[in-house]
Amino acid sequence: MNAQGTHMFFQQLINGIALGSTYALIALGYTMVYGIITLINFAHGEIFMAGAFVGLLLVATFKMNIFAAMVVSMLVCMVLGVLIELIAYRRLRKSSRLSALISAIGVSIFLATLAQMIFGANARSFPDDAFPVRQIHIGDADISTLQLLIIGVSALLMVALEYIVQRTKLGKAMRATSEDYNTAALMGINVNMIISFTFAIGSALAAAGGVLVGVLFNAVSFNMGLMAGLKAFAAAVLGGIGSIPGAMLGGLLLGVTEVMGVAAGYSSYRDAIAFFILVLVLLIRPTGLLGRKIQKKV
Amino acid sequence: MKKVTALLLAGMLAFGAAGCKKKEGGEAAKAAGDTIKIGFLGALTGDVAMFGKPTLEGMKMAAEELNAAGGINGKKIEIVEADNRGDKQEGASVTQKLISRDNVVAIVGDPTTGITKVAAPIAQKAGVVLLSAGATGPGVVENGDFIFRNTLLDSVAIPACIDFFAKDLGYKKVAVVTSDNNDYSVGLSQTFRDAAKGKGIEIVADEKVKDGDKDFSAQITNIKAKKPDVIFYSGYYTEAALMMKEARKQGLKANIFGGDGLFSPKLIELGGTAVEGAMSALGFSPEQATPETAKFIEAFKKKFNGAEPGLFDAQGYDGVMMVADAIKRANSADPKVFKGELAKTKNFKGVSGTITIRDNREPIKSPLALLEVKGGKFVLKNKVPVKMD
Amino acid sequence: MTEFLQGLLSNINPYILQIIVNIGIGIVLALGLNVITGLTGQLSLGHAAFMSVGAFTSALLTIKLGMPITLNLLVTGAVTALVGALIGYPILRLTGDYLAICTLGFAEIVKVVFLNLDITNRALGLSVPPANSAIPMPFVVWGVAILAIILVSFVYNSRFGRALKAIRGDEIAAEAMGINVARYKVQSFALGTFLAGVGGGLYAHFISYINPSDFGFLKSIDILSMIVLGGLGSIPGAVIGAGVLSAAPEFLRFMANYRMLVYGALLVFMMLFRPNGLMGGVNFTDMVLRALGRKPHLKTVLQNREVGK
Repeated sequence: MNAQGTHMFFQQLINGIALGSTYALIALGYTMVYGIITLINFAHGEIFMAGAFVGLLLVATFKMNIFAAMVVSMLVCMVLGVLIELIAYRRLRKSSRLSALISAIGVSIFLATLAQMIFGANARSFPDDAFPVRQIHIGDADISTLQLLIIGVSALLMVALEYIVQRTKLGKAMRATSEDYNTAALMGINVNMIISFTFAIGSALAAAGGVLVGVLFNAVSFNMGLMAGLKAFAAAVLGGIGSIPGAMLGGLLLGVTEVMGVAAGYSSYRDAIAFFILVLVLLIRPTGLLGRKIQKKV
Repeated sequence: MKKVTALLLAGMLAFGAAGCKKKEGGEAAKAAGDTIKIGFLGALTGDVAMFGKPTLEGMKMAAEELNAAGGINGKKIEIVEADNRGDKQEGASVTQKLISRDNVVAIVGDPTTGITKVAAPIAQKAGVVLLSAGATGPGVVENGDFIFRNTLLDSVAIPACIDFFAKDLGYKKVAVVTSDNNDYSVGLSQTFRDAAKGKGIEIVADEKVKDGDKDFSAQITNIKAKKPDVIFYSGYYTEAALMMKEARKQGLKANIFGGDGLFSPKLIELGGTAVEGAMSALGFSPEQATPETAKFIEAFKKKFNGAEPGLFDAQGYDGVMMVADAIKRANSADPKVFKGELAKTKNFKGVSGTITIRDNREPIKSPLALLEVKGGKFVLKNKVPVKMD
Repeated sequence: MTEFLQGLLSNINPYILQIIVNIGIGIVLALGLNVITGLTGQLSLGHAAFMSVGAFTSALLTIKLGMPITLNLLVTGAVTALVGALIGYPILRLTGDYLAICTLGFAEIVKVVFLNLDITNRALGLSVPPANSAIPMPFVVWGVAILAIILVSFVYNSRFGRALKAIRGDEIAAEAMGINVARYKVQSFALGTFLAGVGGGLYAHFISYINPSDFGFLKSIDILSMIVLGGLGSIPGAVIGAGVLSAAPEFLRFMANYRMLVYGALLVFMMLFRPNGLMGGVNFTDMVLRALGRKPHLKTVLQNREVGK
């Protein structure tokens, strides 16, 4: 590999890691909700979109600082997430999982349409001065401060989440609920509260992701949730759905393979490459990279 | 076996019951009444609503203007709208509804080639004029003598501009970027490749993106390494704006140029300073505009609080105006009659350009305007005449 | 015959006819997925991909060979089933959501590959000439739909169908009972994708223009919604679900721009109030027989029981 090639490789690696951490950011919330109530929350992508719009509104209209806007957006989406769970999922907790899935799809169609009615069909962008982006040179390659921030935030959130789930009393209750809903309730755990809490955290993560990704790609649109949600879902499964470090790993791997595919000249197969890797990994490790082995009970 | 029989019975019942609803609306004389109905075919929700909505806005403006001036031949124009979500099955249903329920004499739309291709055979069979305000790909007007369009054709625009690019602007190394899931883009890129042959233009990079993509970092890194003079992007404005933001972030200085898909105030809104120097070839120019175009822009701004019209607004407006013009000349709102006049449209002073319908019912807009973004506005860079054969 | 059928059709408003045909196509697709997800319990989020394979195969058979529609649909179904079996063989080892994401991933791969193939004409898609058939297309669609209902009903009550139900209930128990789980799963997948392919072929010929982007994730979700809404695993449920959801966008049209908002909300509320689907837990045969007076009503049965005490 010549100098030019190495330079390209590093630049693309950085592109991939930055893209991957945006996937990871969304996948963290996805995997957490799944880990507790084994629901594929398709509306997660729409919460991500809602978070981006709330942030955009605050920054563009109310001239709020981007970080303040992010915090407000996280709070708004917490409420949104809890409401969605209360209205659309709670009653379906004991029904077939597919019913809850369809309900989630209904919520997602509803939210996307609502966003289109309010914000229009065209993409909108954050003001240029929303976040002071600077390029930092690492050797030959460039990375922007924003990309660094996203990588940092997703890593930080992963550690924080893992800490909450594994080390705190609340986390213990979450794990108990995830292990056995009924027994957990018998043990005096307020399972409804725990599940609401899970949705609140998951939605706050999605909102943070929405604002950061919205600023990074400079576009917020009503339909951004679908593809982001699918990719995040793929990332979560790749890492082993329900596993928090797995979501991070899955996101990064997906981002890097996608970008490397483009770097190798296969830009037209970009999405196919990502999903091909996913299928391949699952065939070798049927529960994802860091997923727990499913115990088949007889 | 009982079960099967019962099911069969149920299925047939359902079919029969639905079938009984026949002949609603009936074949009421299409041109009768005090209004002339023109249908809108396009998406008002879903991923392609950004093309459908402005088309409808333009159509409504045209109808308002015509009605304020007393209508056509004493009859008012009514726009019948229905959303098709950009879905082909729904596009077919809506077309049938407009024709058989609403008794429209003409349909303007769909702004996308795909649904136009689904709607065209239906309109042709029913004998209703379909004028697409946006379909650029092949296989549209071939459906028959009721089918028209008023867009600038890919096969005309790019070859007409290529000499200017190669000689006057001196572009030698071009990076071609195509939006893979967009038929307009795939067609336009092919046209560009064909037109560039023998003009001293070298295509140094061939990258693919998708409509709806947000991350272009990998493609831009690839392109940057090839050091092109310019990026040719054949898709629409949203992706173009985001791509240029990424290009400027990575320090790629090359400009972008493309077809009429790049022309939208949203390009500048989204792209900001990154799209300075972006060029788009289309059938009209907001600067040094014809009186018709200038009047339209002013009326549009007045109606939408100062917002600038885009390409689809203009084409939707022209669609209704062209149909109205043909109805007036034919002195009949019967599609079988006025389709002949529509086919004879010559040097029609539309707001999206001066339109002539050729013998094969394909439109020609001449002269072409090559626009450039300068100081956050589209300005006229060059006028290019189109050869009419 | 042809003229008679044509005449029959000309009495129906074309708009209504369009909706009726959409329902017919929906039924074929929903029944296919019902075999995979409803009967065998394997969640597939990629049914539209097989519809896509079918649509392009069928279109090409008509374009290149001018094959008569009945033979065309059979070949299309067979090709799609073969693709389905080839894909199904490796991935059906996965369970639950891992399988779901794999089918979704596969669907994305099919879409991207078709967008890059010359034979599918890339993003420009294919214009499909009218089907080579003496019978008008609406009758073909409904004929196929009724045949599909019969076929799937037959499968449900066969030994094969019972084995699939056993797999849905408990894979390990099914295996212990001597059912070759892997083989049955692939066979069920092949049957489901056969119907998806046929449905795709009908779609291609009725819509007359197809494009790889038509068969995206949302289309798969549409079909899945049909069977879950109707009642998972129920044949009348799939038929009714297909009917309701194929017609819903048209019936909701009066709401103009609020249409999709209401559609989304409706999905949620239907699930909340009938979590097992419209026909879930309803014995359709009994219901019809009761309505026809061939079987006593539940009320009378209960009353008789009271009397008997």
